[in-house]
Amino acid sequence: MIYQAAHFEDVPVAEPDEIARLRRCDAAAVASVVQRYQHRLYRYLRRLVREPAAADDLFQQTWLNVVRQIGRYDPRRSFDTWLFAIAHNAAMDLLRRKAGESLEESGCQLTASEPDALSAAMAFERTAILASEMAGLSAPYREVLTLRFEEGMKLEEIAEVTHSPLSTVKSRVQRALETLRQQMTARYRKEDLL
Amino acid sequence: MTTHETVRQLLALSAAGFLDAADERHVREHVRECAECAAALDDLAAVSADLCRLPTPVTPPDLLARTQARVAAELAAQAGLRHGAILAVGAGLFAWMAALATWGLYRFLTGSAGWLAWLVLTTVPAYMAAGAVAIMFASRRRLERSAL
Repeated sequence: MIYQAAHFEDVPVAEPDEIARLRRCDAAAVASVVQRYQHRLYRYLRRLVREPAAADDLFQQTWLNVVRQIGRYDPRRSFDTWLFAIAHNAAMDLLRRKAGESLEESGCQLTASEPDALSAAMAFERTAILASEMAGLSAPYREVLTLRFEEGMKLEEIAEVTHSPLSTVKSRVQRALETLRQQMTARYRKEDLL
Repeated sequence: MTTHETVRQLLALSAAGFLDAADERHVREHVRECAECAAALDDLAAVSADLCRLPTPVTPPDLLARTQARVAAELAAQAGLRHGAILAVGAGLFAWMAALATWGLYRFLTGSAGWLAWLVLTTVPAYMAAGAVAIMFASRRRLERSAL
């Protein structure tokens, strides 16, 4: 196995007693959980919707939905998965309403234009280039990549968050990685020729 | 489909750590003998490793405070709604008890034992009062939510 998930052991997650207090709508517990997940959730939403203002709105909407729906949360299941599924639903609603954002996964074509001058100037940073290439993928591909490689979720957890069959998640990951590999290879080959 | 084609399709899943032990072993055995697949797997592994190290978007510094304030307001509104519902039920019960207490007075004043008229005269205002309390709290909650 190439992928190593060891570095995800440090990610902030909610404590069981915190979740129990959250289920009782304890204001202090809610505030604490929001704080604990702020960077992870915001990053996920930014990857998904790309625009900071939209991610900002969705972040707040997600937490409002959490406190409205906390009664439906089953404590035997992962809180992370439940939280990200709520964020996913809110983001999908927004993306469906938004013109020009593709939720289709056919083709996995890059939709972004060529990187701007600033991105070009930062082209030596491989991860910055990769982030830019990833932003050009359509939303379903960006989503599985961030859930897998930034959130460290398992296949089953990603399927639960995205309400997709395991086979769909696998095929999205496969196509997204293959597309990024081709884009990165082509880019570096081009730079070598210059 | 040849082994090469089969394994080719598994490379990305191997790089993502999504293969079971048997498929992973199958991939490993193949890439030892296939330079093309070995190179592709190396590239995919590099992309996967870089995806774990992508620059994290900076969370707006005031987002946490704004969200906590909105969530606190939502919790207060929910508590208000629960309180309103309890109050509405309480008001209904109180009105009903008060109506029952008027039974003797009604009989004394009208000299009649007609329970139906008494029922209409007393229970209708009782339920109207309870409904008014419920509507009052629902309106307050709507105002609070629109202010968010």
